[in-house]
Amino acid sequence: MSDGAESSESVKADSSRIEARGISKRYGDFTAVEGVSFDVGEGEVVGFLGPNGAGKTTTMRILTGFIPPTEGSAQIAGYDLFSSPLEARRSIGYLPESPPIYPEMSVRSYLVYVSKLKDLPRARRKEAVDKALERCGLTHVQSRVIGLLSKGYRQRVGLAQAIVHEPPVLVLDEPTVGLDPIQISEIRQLIADLARPGEHGGQSVILSTHILAEVEAICRRVLIINEGTLVLDAQLTALAQEGQRLEDVFTRAAQGESIALGREVGK
Amino acid sequence: MRHITSIAGRELSSLFVSPVAYVTLTLFALLAGFFFLAGVLSFDAQVAEAQSLQYTDYLEKINLNDAVLGPFFGVMWIVLLFLIPGITMGLFASEKVNGTQELLLTSPITIWELVLGKYIAGAVFAACLVLVAAFFTGILFLYGNPEFWRTISGLLGLLLLSWSYVAVGAFASSVTRNQLIAFFLALVLLLILWMLAVVADLGAAGGTIGADSNLSEVMRFLSASDRFEKMVRGLVDTRDLAYFAFMISVFLVFTKTSVESARWR
Ligand SMILES: Nc1ncnc2c1ncn2[C@@H]1O[C@H](COP(=O)(O)OP(=O)(O)O)[C@@H](O)[C@H]1O
Ligand SMILES: [Mg+2]
Repeated sequence: MSDGAESSESVKADSSRIEARGISKRYGDFTAVEGVSFDVGEGEVVGFLGPNGAGKTTTMRILTGFIPPTEGSAQIAGYDLFSSPLEARRSIGYLPESPPIYPEMSVRSYLVYVSKLKDLPRARRKEAVDKALERCGLTHVQSRVIGLLSKGYRQRVGLAQAIVHEPPVLVLDEPTVGLDPIQISEIRQLIADLARPGEHGGQSVILSTHILAEVEAICRRVLIINEGTLVLDAQLTALAQEGQRLEDVFTRAAQGESIALGREVGK
Repeated sequence: MRHITSIAGRELSSLFVSPVAYVTLTLFALLAGFFFLAGVLSFDAQVAEAQSLQYTDYLEKINLNDAVLGPFFGVMWIVLLFLIPGITMGLFASEKVNGTQELLLTSPITIWELVLGKYIAGAVFAACLVLVAAFFTGILFLYGNPEFWRTISGLLGLLLLSWSYVAVGAFASSVTRNQLIAFFLALVLLLILWMLAVVADLGAAGGTIGADSNLSEVMRFLSASDRFEKMVRGLVDTRDLAYFAFMISVFLVFTKTSVESARWR
């Protein structure tokens, strides 16, 4: 490999934190995800929108390395998910659809454990756990047993385990599901804060949802997936300029109409 | 390596706050105490009777290792066979229920680190059970004079047996998300392993399988009973140690393969 090729590789890796290329997932004859490609840049908050069963969770599970795709490849923070899985996984914080929780552990000891799994250096552990607790509003329940917390608090614990090691990439699968309106706005505020440029640049966030208002509240860009294929990839401002309401676009996408907006998907 | 200790440490701290662990420990201590006491009392009765009848030959032959510890270890073996599945059933199954399987498999850890961490936690707990058995055999040293190394060898046999059972139980837990299924699967596997020698003997005796046939050889190799009995008699053979290492490795490889395949399901 020549030097020129190498440096152009690394420039590409720097500018995009998530690089999904032609990802497909088949379960037997059933295709859950088909040829999904997109990039997410530094500090971007991208809404991943689609009706139930569209393939959001499947796509996220592939991006986080939980399941392998049938076809396609992905890079996370410049690391190939399949040739450097450990480096790629170290760069990700993931909140699965149902928050991973050990009911018998205390909130704090759980976050300490996760920070060890994610290779956070020992010297930074205490500070990072304190910060995650504070950001998720968990400081006052840190010594409580997780199984005894309310659903809203357990969701926050799920979010805290995703951000505790301050990964450059966050993959959040329906982060506000099951929360009350006040909790929802707190979580949205938190996600917006994460993306704000800090010492390591803003964290890149991709969050799935089927709530349109959520995308409008915190995302600048939207990806719409329907029946496993990406049907729209657009900046919200671009939609607004063309006089399109997200709601209409989404309804048309869900009905299987192809949308002549934003980037032409799949080309 | 650091991941292994983190995983094992978390597993142990969860195990020790779970009711299953306390029930298992208590049950084991009660059963061990009961069988130990029964053994000692019947030994006392035999000695007293032999003395009253002046059976000097018998009195010379009878000793604590053969009359008390041998049967005690034999019973503890069966108790472990039924209790170990109880402590291993949650090792992997509970991660699936908790949703933490998704955390583990998306963390920068290898499947081997996960499997070894889990296994070590189970093995430490099993060692605690064997320690309880060791406590009772220790009492015997206050009461009489059993052979020290022979006793240690028997305890070692019990420990190795329990460690191989933990590996089997870990595998059973890795194939299901239901702890009850994991428990019974482990029990069935252990009972099959346990019966292999018996079946080989029966088959050979009944002529269904020749005593020297390959099948009978394999069954005898896989069976732990002869090896355990040798260790209870105080014979520590490297081939028998290698057997336990082999069984543990085989089931850990199965476990690793099974955990890995969760990604493909
Ligand atoms: N393990 C699986 N086996 C078979 N089908 C699956 C599996 N996981 C998901 N699916 C199917 O794939 C489709 C997409 O699911 P999912 O990604 O969970 O959708 P979403 O998160 O958008 O609601 C659904 O129709 C679902 O039933
Ligand atoms: Mg989903």
